Amino acid sequence: MSQEPTQNYEGATARLEAIIERLDSGEAGLRETLDLCREGRGLVEFCAGELDAVGKGLEELRLDELVTRLERGAADAA
Amino acid sequence: MQERLEERPAGIDGSALPGPWPVGQYATRLRAWLRERPRLQLFGEVWNLRTSRARIYFELRDAQGAVPCGMWRDDFDALGLPAGAVVDGTKVVVAGGPDFYPGTGTASPAFSFHVGDLRVAGEGDLLAQLERLRKRLDAEGLFVPQKALARPTLPRVIGVVTGEGGKARDDVLAGLARRGWEGRVVWAFAPVQDRHAAPRIARALSDLAACPEVDVIVVARGGGSLADLFCFCDEALCRTVALLRVPVVASVGHHTDRTLLDDVAAVSCSTPTHAAEAAVPCHCAQARADLHRQAGRLAGHGRRAVVQRARTLAHLSRAPGEHVAREHARLHQRLREIRAATRRRAHGERALSTRRALVLDRKATAAAQAARRHAGLDALAAALAAHDPQRTLERGYALVEDGEGGPVTSAAAARAQRAVRLRFADAAVDATIEQEP
Repeated sequence: MSQEPTQNYEGATARLEAIIERLDSGEAGLRETLDLCREGRGLVEFCAGELDAVGKGLEELRLDELVTRLERGAADAA
Repeated sequence: MQERLEERPAGIDGSALPGPWPVGQYATRLRAWLRERPRLQLFGEVWNLRTSRARIYFELRDAQGAVPCGMWRDDFDALGLPAGAVVDGTKVVVAGGPDFYPGTGTASPAFSFHVGDLRVAGEGDLLAQLERLRKRLDAEGLFVPQKALARPTLPRVIGVVTGEGGKARDDVLAGLARRGWEGRVVWAFAPVQDRHAAPRIARALSDLAACPEVDVIVVARGGGSLADLFCFCDEALCRTVALLRVPVVASVGHHTDRTLLDDVAAVSCSTPTHAAEAAVPCHCAQARADLHRQAGRLAGHGRRAVVQRARTLAHLSRAPGEHVAREHARLHQRLREIRAATRRRAHGERALSTRRALVLDRKATAAAQAARRHAGLDALAAALAAHDPQRTLERGYALVEDGEGGPVTSAAAARAQRAVRLRFADAAVDATIEQEP
């Protein structure tokens, strides 16, 4: 039931499909169904977040700009 | 040998040259002498190439002359040249030395330049070098690591190595737009044209891979001749890519001139557009639609699971009451049936009692009537008994009867009869009437 091993998009979508397949089978009891639905909702939110992250408009950076950002972020963190 | 010397013919008269010697001996010594000549390299074009099971023969030519060449087939195959790399007209460099086949009694002698090594020069040379390097890298297993990396279905950040201002940049953006992907692109521009570009490309790749947020890297170039693409066949570049932790999608070569980077990379595509699509395997719009549908199915499953079970529970909770009501109705019905049966039974019993009372009444009436009849009969019997002649006879009287049993009630009748019977109470006695005188 833990979502830790599937915290990437492809893992989340694969787990989500497995959950729906299990629910479609009609073999899950009430407790398992509710647990799967709760886990599935979490996965849907995660996947939606991932899709939103690549749906807000293309951002173009040059490598040196990214390096500068990372260095600034590291300095701020320090 | 002594006998052969004895068979040696006489030399030419007047000639100062030694001999004559047997030609076979001379041929053998000639072969040994030629094989002692210095080994060297020659270059020219291959012509009249022909092969046998064990040897390869050709003529090495240029404008000034030619030398017949021979090479062991095993040595030629060990070069690892691609098929068709050496044909008539191919410029080659050969290494070896002169050799001579002395022949036999039936086989012809032949001179040849024995080739121990060979390389293709010019364009063919590049291909041959490339092929050798490809085999070496493959043997070292450098084509495997990139392909073993997990490629994200939906990368957030894509690094792109390409020439600044080239058409490949627009093609990459077009490919990303096709996927509906609008994440972050990190451009690492580098020269992609000549051989000296390889270190710059390798550094750009390493820098991109060093950024932890970069999920996948695309190396794109719009194609060109093999010489133009040779920077992507650089051994150091290939080794760098093979060791990167980030998957690399290559789009620099074509089917006809595949670069080594295409072999080392995780994925090789024919165009930068396809490379961009390969970097984002997920079609974002489709994925959003799928996710929406899956969320709906999840919600439906959850709702149905609760609602159906709630209905079942409600049904089950009503069941005892319904059962009691059914039992109540059934008992009520039974009660009504019992009452009705009781009424029917009482009515029947009442009718039966009435009938029986009537019958008894009738019987009582009949019995009274019978008793009355008996009493009347008894009276009649008593009256009758009072008039019974027998009673009179018992008192001492006698009854006179004629011969037919009829009573003789007068003296005249008795005289008329003459013979009569006197009936007493206990018996009858016949008597005769005697006439009075």
